[in-house]
Order: sequence, then structure tokens, then C-alpha cells
Amino acid sequence: MIQTFSLSPGVTLRCCCDGRFKQGCLSLQLVRPMGADEAAMNALLPTVLLRGTVRHPSLRSITLALDDLYGASVSPQVRRVGDYQTTGLYCGFMDERFALPGDRVLEPMAEFLRELLLESPLENGGFLERYVESEKKNLISSIQCDLNDKQAYAMGRLLKIMCREDSFGLPRLGEPEQVAAITPQGLYRHHQRILAQSAVQLFYVGSRAPEQVAELLAPLLDFGRREPVPLPPQTDFHPCPGQDVTETMDVTQGKLCLGFTTPITNREPDYPAMQVLNQVFGAGMTSKLFMNLREKESLCYSIGSGYYGSKGILTVSAGIDSAQRDRVQAGILHQLQLCAQGEITPGELENAKQGLLSGLRAAHDSPGAIESYYSGGVLSGVQLSPEEAMARIQAVTLPRLCRAAQSVRLHTAYFLTEGRSDR
Amino acid sequence: MKRYSYPDLDETLYRETLPNGLEIAVAPRRGFARKIAYFVTNYGSIHTEFTLDGKKCTVPAGVAHYLEHKMFELPGGRDVTGEFAALGAAVNAFTSYDMTAYYFACTQNFEAALELLLEFVSTPYFTQESVERERGIIQQEIDMNLDSPDSVIFDRLMEIMYENHPVRVPILGTGDSIREITPEILEVCHRAFYHPGNMLLCVVGDVEPEAVAAAARKILPDSPRPDARRICHWQEAPVPVSRLTQCTMEVAMPTFSMAFKCIPAPPGEAAIRQEMVADLAAEALFGESSALYLRLYEQGLIDSSFGGGFETLEDCAMLCASGDSDRPLAVRDAILAEARRLSRAGIPQAEFLRMKRSALGRRIRALDSMDGVAFRICAYHFAGFDYFRFPEIYRAVTAQEVCEFLTQAVRPETCAISVITPSHDAPAEGETKPCRP
Repeated sequence: MIQTFSLSPGVTLRCCCDGRFKQGCLSLQLVRPMGADEAAMNALLPTVLLRGTVRHPSLRSITLALDDLYGASVSPQVRRVGDYQTTGLYCGFMDERFALPGDRVLEPMAEFLRELLLESPLENGGFLERYVESEKKNLISSIQCDLNDKQAYAMGRLLKIMCREDSFGLPRLGEPEQVAAITPQGLYRHHQRILAQSAVQLFYVGSRAPEQVAELLAPLLDFGRREPVPLPPQTDFHPCPGQDVTETMDVTQGKLCLGFTTPITNREPDYPAMQVLNQVFGAGMTSKLFMNLREKESLCYSIGSGYYGSKGILTVSAGIDSAQRDRVQAGILHQLQLCAQGEITPGELENAKQGLLSGLRAAHDSPGAIESYYSGGVLSGVQLSPEEAMARIQAVTLPRLCRAAQSVRLHTAYFLTEGRSDR
Repeated sequence: MKRYSYPDLDETLYRETLPNGLEIAVAPRRGFARKIAYFVTNYGSIHTEFTLDGKKCTVPAGVAHYLEHKMFELPGGRDVTGEFAALGAAVNAFTSYDMTAYYFACTQNFEAALELLLEFVSTPYFTQESVERERGIIQQEIDMNLDSPDSVIFDRLMEIMYENHPVRVPILGTGDSIREITPEILEVCHRAFYHPGNMLLCVVGDVEPEAVAAAARKILPDSPRPDARRICHWQEAPVPVSRLTQCTMEVAMPTFSMAFKCIPAPPGEAAIRQEMVADLAAEALFGESSALYLRLYEQGLIDSSFGGGFETLEDCAMLCASGDSDRPLAVRDAILAEARRLSRAGIPQAEFLRMKRSALGRRIRALDSMDGVAFRICAYHFAGFDYFRFPEIYRAVTAQEVCEFLTQAVRPETCAISVITPSHDAPAEGETKPCRP
């Protein structure tokens, strides 16, 4: 289903030819190590590239060009998978069968992507200062706006505290002060360096034949002399002592976040068992946490767990009445204990598997889902087709699930509660 | 079932009305694994006054949403969510101002899941104890919204935009209003609005349309439709109650939500045309390729969080814009000035055609989202319009219509703005107090 082409050293194109969709996608990602020294630059770069090119020197001329391409869109795309961060652009565009007769969409889209990536206007050996400064301000405010969603803010604080020795504790978009320190010249040098050194992943989903797409993209995205530097492999969680942290803020509802560790990462044979455990324990509306803490005890509206396979981290997050914190935390730990003791009904096990299988069966149902499934697989180093992943989920037995639960240890607790803001 | 085809969009729709009044719409998607079904009642948070069998009923705010939560319980302690999960289906629901939707997505066992959906939504079962237990959960949901700037800013905007229209009350109701909700009230609302004759069943996916209709015939009774009439004519002045509301919250930077009060068009095709005209007007006025957007973005007055569009409900219509900005009132003033300029100067034909092409392209792309398609089919159905006809409406809209809309709708008198400033900063403009008592 996916065809892979090596266009030049370190430049890989993956194509999924599929005529069912009304839109296609073309994404380009430069793969970087997640590090405090460049996370903010990688987050800023695509937004500066989208401000203008030599031929389309303003935001308006860029959006007008996209309007002409039947309302196509190009968005900055910054992802984190384990120890890697990617920076790049994601193009979404209407399939050509809806265009006026004779109109092409993919060719001008690909040409525009090249232009955005390689033909930025320059001054004084750097990007235009006014573009860089204005995007720095936007990035800083979007980092600070994490505060607006208190549940996400609390989860960010938990991961920062728990992973202070690990790249996973670095915020995906960098810190505001790192953004503030970026100069137009420094950012341009970084751009040149990562174009020469990084692995480049291109992904296409749409109705065109893969060979045609490869032929179209190979000459367009010629970065000149490239010296790809291989990335170190993904690493397990870097341990540090756990903590129990409470912070106060002017909020109505308390947010409790718990961080657990397990030696089972997505590189381990027991990974599918951990996925099923996460589902039984806290993911979704049939999980033990939802059914017991919300439905039976009415202790919260939102409660759920998440599993970061690249690091072996399991998290639980709940919005609660602050007075009930101890009861909620004890309840969460009790449900985990039940999993470890094997107190899981055949129904719970089957529901959990069905939830995961259903997601995998639908992995090919939209261009965005296809792009994200396979790109995520390449970056995590675990490349399974949805069918292979499904077979592994189906093979998970109750004893394996218990062993997975027994490996889980509470590491850090973070509680955001009502009070005078201590930010 | 009757088959309709839309070659412009590469879409087909099968429709049927059952003898009990249920409307069915099926949009087949050959070759896709995922299938979704929406079972939707034309009843939402604004419908708190109605007559049932000639008797007038006034119910507390938040009932439609409370009812949505409580529908997930069946007699005999059956666990609806668990039964869906056992079929490999994920079930959920939402309540908006004017509709309540129950839906599931699955890749297998579609027909069994569809029957379960029809069964649980048509089976009212409310005990004192379970209604009591739900109050704690909904109170937590209300509290969560009180901490969410997006939710607070919009609810406050509606309070100053509308004097009588119930859109001024939050969909969830308030702590006080939900305390008044009893099993009897839920039963009355279910009887009034969950009759098949008030509902739509919409399915998108690789399914046999006839099988959908067969399941509906099997599960839903041919009971007589109750005489339920919603009272939904609210007297509203053409201008907001007041022009500005401000408060402080724990947010990173000032954020705003503004709206221009519009005169709603009569339901049906006129309302849809108004919506498409208003969408293009929003695009011309402050869309990403407009001159104004570029200027405000380059001046740093708005960032990529800025956006807006047209919102419409029974008896209420407004053009909205929202985002983060250090100077929300300057953004408002710039929008007003640009609307005046566009009304006078008009929109050049070439620019207008490009805008239409782009708007159409984006709507076509959005058809890849099954949930988006199901949602729009339902919402437009209750508004009296077949959603897949949007290309013909777009083609017919003229630049002049768009300018006329701007002239009429975007004026200082029709505008209200809601602002939240960070609690650690001094208020920027005017008097500001914390948003919670």
C-alpha cells in the first residue's frame, strides 16, 4: 500500500496512492534530535518560511496563491516522537477531479512547497527581521496560551517535573526565553544546517501514481550538497527521583495528574500488552477509571489515561473537586492494583482490544490518518502495517496484561488546585 | 429509499421518511472501513418552553444536556457504553443550542450497533438515584467550563448580545438550574422531543441504505406523535443589550470574542443563502487572504488564533470573530472601518471569483471527514436544506449581495465584544472584574 522511494541521500518519499479521497496531502519533515538548544528554532522555522518567499513576498500573496489552488492550505508541522522532533510543512489540497478541466493542483502545490522551503527573502545574512520578530512574538504567546487549557497545562507541568532528566521533559515548542533569544541570522544558519544534515521525510497521499509523484518531486527538492548525519536511536526514560507537587491558581476545578513508569516501551515485545492495559485501565468510556471514578462514584467529569510508548510512561489526568484529591488518587491506584491482580473481566479485555482494533482498521480512512500513522511509525522505529499491529493486539492474553500492569510504578504526582496564583 | 446524486461533489444520498415520521439519510462511502451513525433530535438547550398536549411547560436551563447524559442508562442495569464497546463501536453524544445528537463509529457489527443506538435513545429510564448521581458529574463539567476562557468569553458575549433569546444561557445551564431537574422533567422532555417524528437518522460509510431503513423500522415503534410545540419566538432588539463586557481570568494574554447581530433570514433556502453570503462576507472582510487580516497580522494586533464566521440558530444570527490580542478594541475598530470601506468600494470581480473558488474547494475537501458530513447533513436538515446542494448556492451568490450584507450587518451599533484580560495584568481598557463571583 505504501511505496517508498529514495530521492537523494537522506531524502525519502513515501506514497499512498488512493483515489477514494476528495483531498490529498503532501508533507515534508526534517527530523531532528529533541534538544534544548534547537527545539525553539525548529518550532519557529516553518512559521517564518510561511511569511513569504522571493516570488510571494507577503502573507497576502501567499494566501492568494493558495486561494487560486482551490483553497489549498499549508500549515507548519512540528511533531515530537520520543527523542526526536520534526519540523516541516503540511499541504492539504483538493483532488484534481473537482478542478476546472485542464487545471492541475499537485504540480503547483509541489512547486509552492519547494519555494517556501528554499526561496525565503533574505537580508544581512539572515531571514527578514520583521518576519522573524513577529513570528517569535506569536510563538511565545502560543506557548504561554497553554495556560488557558488548565488540564493540558497541568499535564505539561507533570511531564516537565517527571522528565527533568529526559528529552521528554522539554516542551515541544521550546521555552519562551529560548524563542526570545533567536536572531534572524541564527535561524537562517540553522535552516541551512538542517537542510544539509537532517533526514528528510516526504509523504504523499492522493490519487496520483507513486512513480509520477517521485518523478515530480525528485528534481524540485534538490537541496544541493547534502551530508546527512544519522540520528542516535530512541532511548528509554532517563530516571530521576519522583516528586509530589501541588501548585495553586485561580481555578474552580482541581486538576490531578499522575505519572507512572514502565520498562515496557514500543521497542519491547510486551508493547501490545501495555497498549491493551492502558485501554482497560483508563483510555475511553469503558475503562475502569471512567466506569468507577466517574460513573459509580461521581468524582469527576473528565478522567483518562495516556501511554507514551516511546518512553514507557503512563499518565492519568482528572478534573476533580479539590477536596476529593486523596480519594481520587487512592481510587486511581486501586484500579491499577486490580489490573495487576488480574481482576479484569473477559468483557473488559475484549472491549479494550476492540477499541484498539477499530482504530487500526480505520487507519486508512483519511489522508491525515494515513500520513500520521506511517510517519509516526518511521520516527519511532517501529514500522508495522495496521494488519500486523492488529494481529499483535489480538494475541494479548490476560496473564501478559497482568504482568504489564505489575511493571507500572507511580513516579510523580502533580496537583493544580484553587488558591492564590503562585506562578 | 429514494436516491439523489450530486455529480459535482461525487456524492450520493439515499433518503426516506418512515410512517412514524422518522427521516433517514444515508451517504454511502464505498471502500472505507469506518461507519458512523447519528441519531439526532431537533431539540437543544434553547427549547426550555413548549406546550405538550395543550399544556404549557417551562423547564430549567440545562435540561437537554442533562437528558443527553441520562439517556445512557437502560432498565436492568444495562451498560450502554459497554454494550457498544463489546461490538467494537465507540458511542458518544453532544448537546448544542438547537439539537441533541447520539452517535457511534465502528468498523464491524454495524447493524447490531445501529439497533442498539435506536433502542437506547428511544428508551427513557430515569431513577431518582441515578439522576441525583449525575448532578455531581454535570456540576464538575460546569466547573470545568468556568475555568475555560473560550467557554466563559462566549457565554458572556451571548449575555450582552441577547436580552431574551435563550442563547444567552449556557448549554449546560448553571449550578442553580440543574439542581431543579427531576426524573419527571426528563420524562416530559423525552416524550415531547424524542418521538421519531422529531428526529433524523443519518449514516455515513460503506453500508447498505436499505439495511439502515430496515433497522429503524424494526426498532422504532409506530406510535402516534405527541402534540408538542416549541415556543421559540423571542422578541429581540436589532442591537445588543450592551457593547462591551470585560473580566479577568488566569490566561496568558488578552483574548476577545465579538459578534455583529444580524437579522435572521426565514428558515429554509433563504437562511442557507444568508449563511453562504455571510461566510463570503467574513472571508472578504477578515479572512486569511483579506487585506485587513494581513495588515492586522503584520501590525501584531492579531495572530494565527484569529478567526470567525457566521452563526445561526432559530431566531438568531450573528457574524463572529475571536482571537488573542493585546488590543482587542483596536481590532474591533479596524474591522468596522474595513467593512465601511468594502461597502463603499465593493469587491472587484476577479477577487470575488477567487474567493468563491477557494471557499468551494475548502468545503469539498471537508467532505472527507465523515463526522463533518454527518453533522452538516443533520444541522442543515433541521434548517430545511439539503447540504449537498451547497455548490449551486455558492455559484449564485453575487459580490453585490456580499457587500450589502456587510453594509447592513457590520456596524458599530450591532457590535458587542467580550474581553478577558490576564488576572496578573492591570486591565487594559475600561473597568474589569474577575469573571466569577
